[in-house]
Amino acid sequence: MTATTAAAEVDAEVRGILERVAADSFPPLHAVHHLLSVGVCVPCTFRMFGAFSHVCSCTSLTASVLHSFLEDHDDSAKGGPCSCLSTDEACCSVCFGVLLPTCHQDDGVVSFNGISPIDRITSMVFQAVQRESYQLDEFFLEISLPAVVAANERAIRLHMKEKYGNENWFKDKIFSQQTMSVKEALRLLLVPSLEKKLDVKHGNNSFRIRLTYTHDDASRKLKSLLPNDRNRKRKTESREGTDTRRNSTYEDNQILSETDSFIHKTLECIQDQEFCSLFQLPPEKVFKPCHLVISCLRSPIYIGGRYLKLSRNVSQSCWIIDDERMGEASVEEIIGEDVRTICRGDGCKFHAAGREDIDVRMLGSGRPFLIEVLNARSIPSAIEVEQIAEKINSSEKKYVRVRNLKLVDREIWSMMREGEAEKQKQYAALIWTSRSLTDVDLQKISGVNDMEIVQNTPIRVLHRRSPLERKRIIHWMEIEKVEGSSNYYLLHLCTQAGTYIKEFVHGDLGRTHPSIGAILGCRAEILQLDVTDVKMDLLQ
Amino acid sequence: MAGEALGAPPPLVQEQAARGAAWLDEETRALIAPDAGSLPEAPASAVEANFARYFAADYLNPGHDQYVYRHPNGLCVVGLAPGHVALKEEGGITAVDFNVGKTDRSEIKVTGKRKRNAQHLQENSALCKVCTNDKSFIVRCCVKGSLLEINDRLIKQPNLLNTSSDREGYIAIFMPKPVDWLKIKDKFLSSEDYKSLRGIS
Repeated sequence: MTATTAAAEVDAEVRGILERVAADSFPPLHAVHHLLSVGVCVPCTFRMFGAFSHVCSCTSLTASVLHSFLEDHDDSAKGGPCSCLSTDEACCSVCFGVLLPTCHQDDGVVSFNGISPIDRITSMVFQAVQRESYQLDEFFLEISLPAVVAANERAIRLHMKEKYGNENWFKDKIFSQQTMSVKEALRLLLVPSLEKKLDVKHGNNSFRIRLTYTHDDASRKLKSLLPNDRNRKRKTESREGTDTRRNSTYEDNQILSETDSFIHKTLECIQDQEFCSLFQLPPEKVFKPCHLVISCLRSPIYIGGRYLKLSRNVSQSCWIIDDERMGEASVEEIIGEDVRTICRGDGCKFHAAGREDIDVRMLGSGRPFLIEVLNARSIPSAIEVEQIAEKINSSEKKYVRVRNLKLVDREIWSMMREGEAEKQKQYAALIWTSRSLTDVDLQKISGVNDMEIVQNTPIRVLHRRSPLERKRIIHWMEIEKVEGSSNYYLLHLCTQAGTYIKEFVHGDLGRTHPSIGAILGCRAEILQLDVTDVKMDLLQ
Repeated sequence: MAGEALGAPPPLVQEQAARGAAWLDEETRALIAPDAGSLPEAPASAVEANFARYFAADYLNPGHDQYVYRHPNGLCVVGLAPGHVALKEEGGITAVDFNVGKTDRSEIKVTGKRKRNAQHLQENSALCKVCTNDKSFIVRCCVKGSLLEINDRLIKQPNLLNTSSDREGYIAIFMPKPVDWLKIKDKFLSSEDYKSLRGIS
């Protein structure tokens, strides 16, 4: 087939499509022509008549093709050079060319020589993903458009209503169903190509590719037209400050995102009538396309397990007062750093089911914890997770150990929080009493069964917590004498979550009652405390 | 089986020990087993270990000895030092009254992390009154700051002052501003100095 016949075939195909659309969806063609002449692009025009999906598949449906079709079928479109044919220089009055799709990035307007616009954007997205070596299973395309686009759409609608509102076809043909938004339309255009290039499916929200379109000039202009123009005052203030030039880009960006939300909110409150009085309908033609920034963000992933803390000089979370660290290290940093590095994440957060003091060890099966990794570039495999655990457990300084480390769903986070008050904890405390204990004393301790105690906020935390009386339950206790010592005992106890064990032993000047000392009728002191079990099924 | 350092629990308690049968694994047992040889004869008390103890002798009045225990977090526990004259009276202290004229300090409710409603008192402000059989003595704050709590157990059990004025018989807890504490801390005596002053061991 020769080039001309190929071209002719495409031509015929396009015309075929146009005939069908004209029959199904178009209003009288002079109305279509009018839209083109006020600067609305072909995709937006089709959108407004509910026929966008046809344009989607047909990249050669340019303004001139549509125009010649209109000329053929409608006399009013004929007759010499038409203003709508010069729209090749101006951008669409509604979408600023986003649906063509054009864009320009920081290095100037992108030229499309030889590559279709869709392929061009697809390549740019691909590069953004490759640059960070993201590992993908799926993606979601997020599109952010300047508020001006919504304003433009509304302006065109109102303009058409003004002009053709009384025609009997108006209600059926134009805006008859929910008009497809620019965002939806762009997604329809790009998703198939992206799916192919990235080789993964679109849908799941866990990895987001964001296309942020901005149009500074149009946004600023629109804002200045709106009532309650606080923006004007802010701009003059910033100019009066010292050396604004250096900071102006940053400030401008701040101002613009505030601009967008301000525009949205204000437009929502403005009725159609007021809208028409404030803005020029149809909107003025614009000659600059939108600026596009492509960014990727993975939603947080969670790696959980149980940790043991074997040192009495390591805090659970990073603890720094006045630039000085308390203790030698923290569980949070020891585990978090290794995890974050393997995942190549931007940062991590540590969550645990409860906590223990720096001088209290966490033994037994360990305490459930989660590391939330932000923007992980890759999701570790089961083997890699095992390797992280290996690394932590074989570290020289035996501060922390992890068990059952694995990748978990985000539901685990709320499961960890839920029912916190019911969780029981078990402890082993080394205590001293001011007199030797008799068998009767020991039985008193072992005989305890769900004993209620009242604890006033311990003095050691009273500076930062509310003064309250907290009722807590001591579920059971066991006590053994430490042979070879006098008056030392190992006290095992199982209590309700939130019980202050140290205060339960020494009484905190009588503010916890009953205390061990009070039960035995003597003075009791605590030397060491270990958590021996956190009774939770999670991450077991 | 588990550790010679630990004696077996008394026979009468065996059935309760059963509830903890799956209690602790060997490794945990080994970790928690204390080294009997390294344990001191009598360990430091919770007060000694956790607070810096300061004493004021003859505060505004001869024989009115008081203590201030200061916690590293800034809170100050105030009470009667062993040498206080009221403790020497026949019959000891029989009543404690927090109503010192303008306000009844036992009525104030301090709430929240920000410690709302706390009274801001001066060092010389009256904190409470302690009564013996035939006399009464005013106890002063000794510390300038917010009064967070008074020991209302003293109202029903004034005898706590006689048996353990240094612990359960404490009188009140204050939160001074760091600046205010620095101004007064050097006026106090250490525990040793106070003991030698009063001839207590």
